[in-house]
Amino acid sequence: MELLQEIAVKVEEGKHLDVVSLVEKCIEAGIGAGDILNKGLVEGMNSIGIKFRNNEVFVPEVLVAARAMKAGLEVVKPVLLKEKVQSKGTIVIGTVMGDLHDIGKNIVCYMLQGAGYDVVDIGIDVSKEKFIEEARSRGAQIIGLSSLLTTTMTYMKDVMDAVRNSDIAENVRVIVGGAPVTREFADQIGAHGYAADAASAVDVVKVLLQA
Amino acid sequence: MRQWTQEILASGGRCAFPLMAYAGADLSGMSIHDIVSDGKLHGACITALATRFPSAAFITAMDLSVEAEAFGSETQYLENETPTITGIIVHDAGEADSLTVPSVGAGRTGVYLEAAAWAAKEISPVFGCLIGPFSLAGRLCGMTETLMNVHGEPEMLHRVLNKTTEFLVNYARGFKAAGANGIVIAEPAAGLISPAHCDAFSSHYVSSIVDAVQDEEFMVILHNCGGSGIHAASMASTGAAGLHFGNSADMKMVMKTVLPDILVFGNLDPVGVVRNGTGDDIRLATLQLLRDTAGYPNFVLSTGCDVPPGTPLQNIDSFFSALAEYNESVICGRCL
Repeated sequence: MELLQEIAVKVEEGKHLDVVSLVEKCIEAGIGAGDILNKGLVEGMNSIGIKFRNNEVFVPEVLVAARAMKAGLEVVKPVLLKEKVQSKGTIVIGTVMGDLHDIGKNIVCYMLQGAGYDVVDIGIDVSKEKFIEEARSRGAQIIGLSSLLTTTMTYMKDVMDAVRNSDIAENVRVIVGGAPVTREFADQIGAHGYAADAASAVDVVKVLLQA
Repeated sequence: MRQWTQEILASGGRCAFPLMAYAGADLSGMSIHDIVSDGKLHGACITALATRFPSAAFITAMDLSVEAEAFGSETQYLENETPTITGIIVHDAGEADSLTVPSVGAGRTGVYLEAAAWAAKEISPVFGCLIGPFSLAGRLCGMTETLMNVHGEPEMLHRVLNKTTEFLVNYARGFKAAGANGIVIAEPAAGLISPAHCDAFSSHYVSSIVDAVQDEEFMVILHNCGGSGIHAASMASTGAAGLHFGNSADMKMVMKTVLPDILVFGNLDPVGVVRNGTGDDIRLATLQLLRDTAGYPNFVLSTGCDVPPGTPLQNIDSFFSALAEYNESVICGRCL
């Protein structure tokens, strides 16, 4: 099997140690870092993402695949920088203030990383100021807001209002998601995108970055 | 409770058992913090709900922090939100082995037993609510870590599950001793794993709880709010006399897969419809669900998860009004 294809298979299987050694082999063989990323690591995550969407695999399988992908990414990152491979986009993501839940947000992070985006996970209980500060300093194009509680989802509007009134308003799009969040709510607060689940978050980001 | 089940199965009409306790806070002038920290107030809150709503049964609050707190996890309290676990206490196999199983009554578990006892004096049936063994392991070890350990460290996970189950068996017995008529086991994390993993890491352990407490007088309902309903067979394998599904489940598919003598509860969206919907939204969604499940006497109308704090009481009225409207139409032979 071709090395890049093998990376994709091992990512899908969640074999992080195998992925690391295969990525090292690819670099030694002079395969371009962009190809290792897109035809190996991202391809494996794409495949698991499709299976996840079709209920063929579940959250644990996505998590171990994402760990394998991240392990490979760490190895190839310095070469990507050296070869000046362009990032597909940067997303700052966090669970809004007052809310300590992170499983949904984590899965979205993994799916976005798997799709080849730079993801900056700023954790849980995040204030509007921190969202803006991190998006500004990282040059992010997207801010992702997560919430699990009906009482904390209202803070998403505070973040939206703060982003709209900030200097990054023109450069940043905001997507929202989480168990109690609906498309109607997203529209109501003026969010640019709504993701019903982790897999659709990738599609929403793709569309927003193309717009 | 066997009789309660038989009455539901034999009834020509439909009944409803929404998972609601926090909704009683507004009725009784309490805060959520009052409910989760004082058994007597909690019991009064459930009784207040029974005075207002014609529910087929009532439940202690779905507080999925209380058992982990009894094990020693840190908990964050807010005045009008359900408590949340903030830290992980089991990081590795060594900590799994040294994890001590708490006694029933530890932390706030006594509050919930007391609440069930107070409510059971006034109303019947009353169900105690407790977390499932896999979801509790997720609270103790971290949810992301637990899900990854399904593949990476299954032996360690099983060691934790043996301890969470030991505690939950005793806690379930505590509800029985307190006079509750049954328990609802909330196992949301099991909806995130495959049906095969659900068998191994959840249902196997849930069946130990069922075996320990379920009999003619005491019923176990297993709630799994994840997934589209594909875990139904695994849930049924626990022997629980009732299965409760979340709002992402396809109830038409679920009803086809569950045996007709098992009560099936579900699954109106508790946030999008019951809390945030208009009266008309609630009416239409309720009638649609009742129509979809019309051929199944073992279906009991419910919410897909607990009715969240802050839900307007008139929305719950709309839910019960739609049920009454449906039942009236069935009696009259009218097609809605």
